[in-house]
Amino acid sequence: MNARGGTAGWPLARVLPLVSVALVAAPALVGGAYSLAASVGVVGAGAADAAWSDGWRVLLTPETWRSLAWTAITSAIATLIALATAVFIGVRLRSSPMGRWLAVAPIAVPHVAAALAAILLLGQSGLVSRLAVGVGLTSVPADFPALAYNASAVALIATMAWKEFPFLALTVLAVLDTRGSALEESAQTLGATRIQAFRRITWPLLWRGVAPAVIAVYAFLLGTYEMPALLGPSDPVPFPVLTLERSTDPDLQRRGEAHVLALTALAATLALVAVHQRLRAASGDGD
Amino acid sequence: MDRTSRVVFAVLLIVVAAPALALVIRALGPVWFFPNIVPSGNAVQRFTEDFGGGRLWRAAGTSVALATLTGAGGTVLALIAARSLARARRGLRHVAEAGALLPVVMPPIALGVGVHVLALQLHVSGSLVGVLGAHLIPAAGYVTLYLLGVFSAYEWALEDEARTLGAGRVQVWTRVTLPLLRARLAEAVLLGALVSWGQLALTLVVGGGAVRTLPVELLAFLRSGDDHLAAVAALLLSIPPAAGVAVLARGMRSTGGVV
Repeated sequence: MNARGGTAGWPLARVLPLVSVALVAAPALVGGAYSLAASVGVVGAGAADAAWSDGWRVLLTPETWRSLAWTAITSAIATLIALATAVFIGVRLRSSPMGRWLAVAPIAVPHVAAALAAILLLGQSGLVSRLAVGVGLTSVPADFPALAYNASAVALIATMAWKEFPFLALTVLAVLDTRGSALEESAQTLGATRIQAFRRITWPLLWRGVAPAVIAVYAFLLGTYEMPALLGPSDPVPFPVLTLERSTDPDLQRRGEAHVLALTALAATLALVAVHQRLRAASGDGD
Repeated sequence: MDRTSRVVFAVLLIVVAAPALALVIRALGPVWFFPNIVPSGNAVQRFTEDFGGGRLWRAAGTSVALATLTGAGGTVLALIAARSLARARRGLRHVAEAGALLPVVMPPIALGVGVHVLALQLHVSGSLVGVLGAHLIPAAGYVTLYLLGVFSAYEWALEDEARTLGAGRVQVWTRVTLPLLRARLAEAVLLGALVSWGQLALTLVVGGGAVRTLPVELLAFLRSGDDHLAAVAALLLSIPPAAGVAVLARGMRSTGGVV
């Protein structure tokens, strides 16, 4: 069975890979199974009197779909901004070691710390608002536009993009480093402008390599809790925040709804993982 | 660097540094009257008072303990998984990689809600053990993926040679495998610790507010209006990962890890 490890004939060697994966994946699978059981009222708080459909009724409320749609849209905008930033920086600063280091630096900042920094920077009494007073643009905090805690989600989107662009920049730089710049240089020698060379050559090649990372970032943002909890509005409630609220609801009957919401988020993530795997396989990185 | 690239670099510097600067400024003093740029009040006194037995000190201790145990425990699990998977058939390896990816991509809240019920059944909800178990789930996934990258470039022939020369299974582990992987395993522990270090969602759900880590205290300080200590907590949270990422980045360059 296995020539390299010298474990041929050892029966445990055949099952060890499966056992070890089970060790890693089982808690997540068991947790998911518990969510499924709790969502139909078999286990968990309020299980004794929950009817089959009680938890699932949450999917019929407009509040749930508004929350999901709002989270999906803000995450998508943040992903696009992060991608545009990463590509721009990658193309412009690929030859600068300091630029490359700067582009990945925000990876080190935990999400909850980044969200707090956004409040201190972009809040109505934050640092930018104070600087606006200093240069005479505003005089009181209320003069500064509200960028956090409302449905426009400017501060939330900016923070999400700030936290995620380094990961995409790493991927962009890796793709650019692998490919070199000979094709763009040839196109420019033949008369193409810089923008034409980017549109016709750099971007199509870059997209193939970066697409899986973009899907991964979007999936992550859909499910992340810290940033929407600190910067998101109370209406609509961001989807991960809504799920946590339901899971700690004093009304035990409503806790079943948390499991339905968790399963909905999980289904969305798994769909994105399937897309991610297809894109990886298509980009020749499937192994 | 041409002129446009220099402008891009300057803008990037501002965008990357501004949030860190905001945290540092806010941590300088407890009182921040509008529109002053620099806060006032004795930050050092407040900081030391709080650290002399206060919430930040205990939270930092809890976070360090959880991160250390998660890093070590996650690495042991992942080492067993990745080592056997690296030698498995290709089809099985693909299934296994998907299995390791599952706890990594699962939304923490979705994961936490299910794991919380499990923790309640095991009577570890709201305890350090329960939170440690919850942190181990994504950490083991991340570290397995990392170590799969490490084992893809591993010299199996050295183990075979040791066996040929008469080494037993334990000797191969202690004399060949572990010494060869020492640096990579240290990085794996660090990666697992980083996954635990920034966790808020899983800690809140499974810890139920009773397990007070730095991210939990940061949220509590912020919600009680004390953004000074919240900023101090945020800086404490950011410094170890900054050092850790530098070490990991060096390790990934040398191993081609898949994380």
